[in-house]
Amino acid sequence: MIGRVELAIVALVLIGIIVSSGAMYYASVTLGNVSTLKDQLTDLQNSLQSTLTGLETTLTVGTTDSVELTLDPAQAYDYFGWNIIQQIGETLVSVQPGSATGADFVGNLATGWNSSSDLKTWDFTLRSGVLFPDGTEFNATHVKYSFDRAIELIPQIPEGAPAGLGYGDIFDHTDVISKYTVRFVLKIPFSPLLGILSARSSTIVDPKYAPRNVQVNYTAGDARASTPVAFVGPYKLSEWIRVGGRDQEIKLDANPKYWNLAAGYPRIKHIIFKFYSDAAGLRLAISAGDVDMAFRHISPVDVLDLQTNPNVKVWFGTGAQIQYLCFQTKRAPFNDPRVRMAVAAALNRTDVTERVFLGLANPLYSIVPPGMLGHTEAFAKLGEANYTLTRSLLAQLGYNQGNPLKFDLWYESSGHYPQSEQQALLYKQALEASGVIAVTLKHADWASYKLNRDNEIMDAYVYGWYPDYVDPDDYAFLYWASWLHTNYANATQVAYYDQARATTNSTLRTELYGKIDGMAVEQCSVVPLWVSGAWAVTKPGVYSIFLDITQDMRYWLISK
Amino acid sequence: MRKKTTKTPGSFSAPKTSGSTKTPRSFLARIIPGLTSLTRRGPSGWMVTLGIAIVLGLVVMTAVSPFVVPHDPILYHGPLRSPPSLEFPMGTTDLGQDMLSRVMMGGLIMLQVAALSVFICFLIGVPLGLFSSYVGGNFDKTVSLVIDAVYAFPGLVLAIAIAAVLGSGVINMAISIAVVYIPSYYRIVRSQVLSIKELTYVEAARSIGAKWHTVLYRYIFPNVVPSIVTVLTVNFADAVLTAAGLTFIGLGVSVDVPDWGYDLTNGRKLLTSGAWWVITFPGIMIILLALGFTFIGEGLSELLNPKLER
Amino acid sequence: MGLRSYVITRIILTIPTLLLLLTAVFLVMRVLPGDPAALHFEKKGDPADVERLRQILGMDKPLWQQYINYIGGLVDIGYLRQHGYPNLGKSMYQTSEEVGGQVFSAFPATLELAIYATIIASVLGIMLGVASSKSYGKTPDHLIRNFGTITYAIPVFFLGLIFQLIFGVYLGWLPTGQRISNVAPPTTITGLYTIDSILQGNIIAFVESVRALLLPSLTLGIVLSGVFLRLTRANMLETLRLEFVTAARARGLQESTVTYGYALRNAFLPVLTMMGLQFAMLLGGAVLTETTFSWPGLGKYMVDRINFRDYTAIQGAVVMFGLFVTLVSLTVDVLCAYLDPRIRL
Repeated sequence: MIGRVELAIVALVLIGIIVSSGAMYYASVTLGNVSTLKDQLTDLQNSLQSTLTGLETTLTVGTTDSVELTLDPAQAYDYFGWNIIQQIGETLVSVQPGSATGADFVGNLATGWNSSSDLKTWDFTLRSGVLFPDGTEFNATHVKYSFDRAIELIPQIPEGAPAGLGYGDIFDHTDVISKYTVRFVLKIPFSPLLGILSARSSTIVDPKYAPRNVQVNYTAGDARASTPVAFVGPYKLSEWIRVGGRDQEIKLDANPKYWNLAAGYPRIKHIIFKFYSDAAGLRLAISAGDVDMAFRHISPVDVLDLQTNPNVKVWFGTGAQIQYLCFQTKRAPFNDPRVRMAVAAALNRTDVTERVFLGLANPLYSIVPPGMLGHTEAFAKLGEANYTLTRSLLAQLGYNQGNPLKFDLWYESSGHYPQSEQQALLYKQALEASGVIAVTLKHADWASYKLNRDNEIMDAYVYGWYPDYVDPDDYAFLYWASWLHTNYANATQVAYYDQARATTNSTLRTELYGKIDGMAVEQCSVVPLWVSGAWAVTKPGVYSIFLDITQDMRYWLISK
Repeated sequence: MRKKTTKTPGSFSAPKTSGSTKTPRSFLARIIPGLTSLTRRGPSGWMVTLGIAIVLGLVVMTAVSPFVVPHDPILYHGPLRSPPSLEFPMGTTDLGQDMLSRVMMGGLIMLQVAALSVFICFLIGVPLGLFSSYVGGNFDKTVSLVIDAVYAFPGLVLAIAIAAVLGSGVINMAISIAVVYIPSYYRIVRSQVLSIKELTYVEAARSIGAKWHTVLYRYIFPNVVPSIVTVLTVNFADAVLTAAGLTFIGLGVSVDVPDWGYDLTNGRKLLTSGAWWVITFPGIMIILLALGFTFIGEGLSELLNPKLER
Repeated sequence: MGLRSYVITRIILTIPTLLLLLTAVFLVMRVLPGDPAALHFEKKGDPADVERLRQILGMDKPLWQQYINYIGGLVDIGYLRQHGYPNLGKSMYQTSEEVGGQVFSAFPATLELAIYATIIASVLGIMLGVASSKSYGKTPDHLIRNFGTITYAIPVFFLGLIFQLIFGVYLGWLPTGQRISNVAPPTTITGLYTIDSILQGNIIAFVESVRALLLPSLTLGIVLSGVFLRLTRANMLETLRLEFVTAARARGLQESTVTYGYALRNAFLPVLTMMGLQFAMLLGGAVLTETTFSWPGLGKYMVDRINFRDYTAIQGAVVMFGLFVTLVSLTVDVLCAYLDPRIRL
């Protein structure tokens, strides 16, 4: 007979756990620290608060990102680090929110600009009356200091954004012409300069907190000392907590001295970021109402499912992340452009974007994404699952059903790219459906994948790209980029590219990028696959989410 | 990932030599009559039988599956994420693959990895434990030190590192899991041998001039077998779950091979949107497989433990 | 060998074990394909830049020198006194952060989860194991045993997800992840939120941290309870047959006294060993649980760092883990020796 004592103890333990969780919940509710069964109490609380104190609202944002290392513009090169820097600092120019092309620049700390005809000397007129929190007025010396510092730090921070964007190759020196005029003298004619200047690596720093030769790192307990950025943006960094190399909490509070206060920004006064380990956890959080907004990353399946959920609102926008297929051109079988073209023609991009990404990505037929100048539909010429072309091209080289083209298709398996293994499966199926291709799938984790790329052992491999700035100049070179190790080179394409970056004439640039695309289709060294969409999920009472081509989330525009 | 070291305290029996004039019966010859009498040994016997039935059933299902699956487990011709229906009794995945076919064929990888890793473990851990503890002295101390260091290495990290170096694939996964579990075998065997070798009849065998390998094989090893068997079956269960864990990290096999571990990982992401069938059916299979081995181990440890004789 | 000399010998022996461990991880990391310096250059990767970074990371020095430098850093007492954690070098992925700081900030999260999970697992397991052994062969025994075996075979992330869905989404009682929600974490004294908030009298933080702890420790606890259940049951079954138990009953002692005071006490030793083993295992971080519950612990830290080939971070984490495992097994062995005079080591 089972002992009554034991049974009682076990039952007590289990009941105790259930009861205590209920009690905890009740305790938190009465202590007023947590929203109850969803929105109503929070909404009530918040609307009461905002009526009483006037727009003192808080937005809780959940994300799976984390600042990689610093919030120093001379080092930060990750999406989230750039995102935070954008909320607290300012650049000279920025892209208009909602811009379709990414080329509609407006002045932030600059009010006007012009360039010499050779595009090597650029003058900027700066905005007056912009104050740092301690009252110092922003002027041209701060601009010179920021750029000089970033460039000087390049040898020390070779992996930082200024190094990666080529500041050392672009900028020769910066001159202070007058209190509100600054001049950039460049080494080469560079038409996409405004794009570079709107990048976070061009954020103005506060000399008081930005020592000249030293990278500014996270300091526990002192948010101001953890970043050199001048707090002239819509928010200031109030709190930054990191544990084990990952963010735990970031708090942004409205900047009372923001230069654009008159326009009513920032609409929400306090932003709190909470960090989750993966997309599933983030989805659960927004479903449970633990956060007001979830941005980066929710999986496509969850997004579509959340569309039917009345407790949340889903926002869609333009993405700029692309994926493409690379071929190793230095040896068989891909040393022959006909083989490359045959494989490219057999791809079925639509199947991938519909089946894997559920329509939240779009087939891409040019290395430059849609919306940007220079985008074409060049690769559509090859068709989708165009097996006739594939077979005829491969027949010329003796490949047929009895003697199929055999090669290894590699994909990255540690989660660096979204759903890469599912895509790979679909690519393989599409290629093999032609009847004359036999694909072996291989995979490696990111570090090994990169090593394999550098050692040039992969026949065909899928790779991705995320832009630093929104300009075809930051995409077109992918066709021949040496670091992709495809061993493909084409002087004509490079000449067109250099010509395009040396002119501001958009018609001419469009024509040149079009020519590059045209040649790319003939050569198929790198085949564009798809471009991602962008999405965010919020509670119903949140407004003004812009998901434009810049990929920037501007929290100061959001209202609740 | 859990390591289990069940120590069946002191389950001794005299070595099964059936008389000095006959040739010793082979291992199998001794086991089979025992197996058939299992069912007469009460609930523990039933447990072992049930466990064997489950495991055999799953093995047979996997072996037969390529010939009887209704659809190709890799091709995606079905509707995306559709719940169980007549055409797709276990539903479809987010790519439109048939879950029933994937469940039937998906055990192959898991079974191979688990079997191989247990085999490697056994082959290395047991002889090492036997020899090291029998010999004793500095050799034993050094080996123990090394094994302790391996044991103190976080298991999953070691497995990931090995898998990253060796690459993907069944054999490499098996090796990485095996390395993590060898210390458990070693320790169990060693603790048993340390007590057994002090027993009188072992001393007697030594004193009549039996060579060390005879002593180990004929006298000590049979007494260690019960605990090894128990650890072995538990190890199998753990290996299955660890293989699923490795796939979770991304170190599994290629995506064009149906695998329960992959469906488990993928299905987890789909569960939040209500597609419960992708994770549940492979999950049940994995639980069944682990259960089967655990039943065998549990039942055997009770059967072979004479202290529980009524 | 007296207890004291045994303890001292064991402590001294941990040093070569740890040294071996460190050397092993040092070598294993460098055998891994992939270059930590190259991994910093997502997009481009000018060889000159990569070389510069390798110098910054100290990777241009010969291997034995890197090794010596690392060992030297470990025994740097001045650094330890200044920072509160040993010099485990700088992370190769996050090049300006101290590995010691990272590991020591991630470890308390894992420790707290491990403590509560072990408590739940052992209490649940032992109670059920005792109950099962008392009704050997009858239905409750079978039911409980099957519960034990089934829960052990359930993948942790599956059970965790179910709990998150039920308690987090549908009922909305508990947070779906993270160590604490809605309030700021208590100031760090031990790093364990529950202890720290009590020490500061911060009731709200205590309540919130317990709420956040409930789901992950329950998940782990239930899954692991099966081990304790089976072990307790097996040992209790043996012990309950021993003569001293019959004697105690014959003397008229109450059943509960006999069960707990006499039988369980003697059956407890292997269970104690198992508790130590499981606890040590959990200290390595349950990656799957930590990912499921967005728990900022050491498990996820290590797995992430492997992908980044962050040699120093993995070395540091493994050394920490190894140190704790050896400490825990030493404590368990000593406790066992203390409790059972028959064990003479």
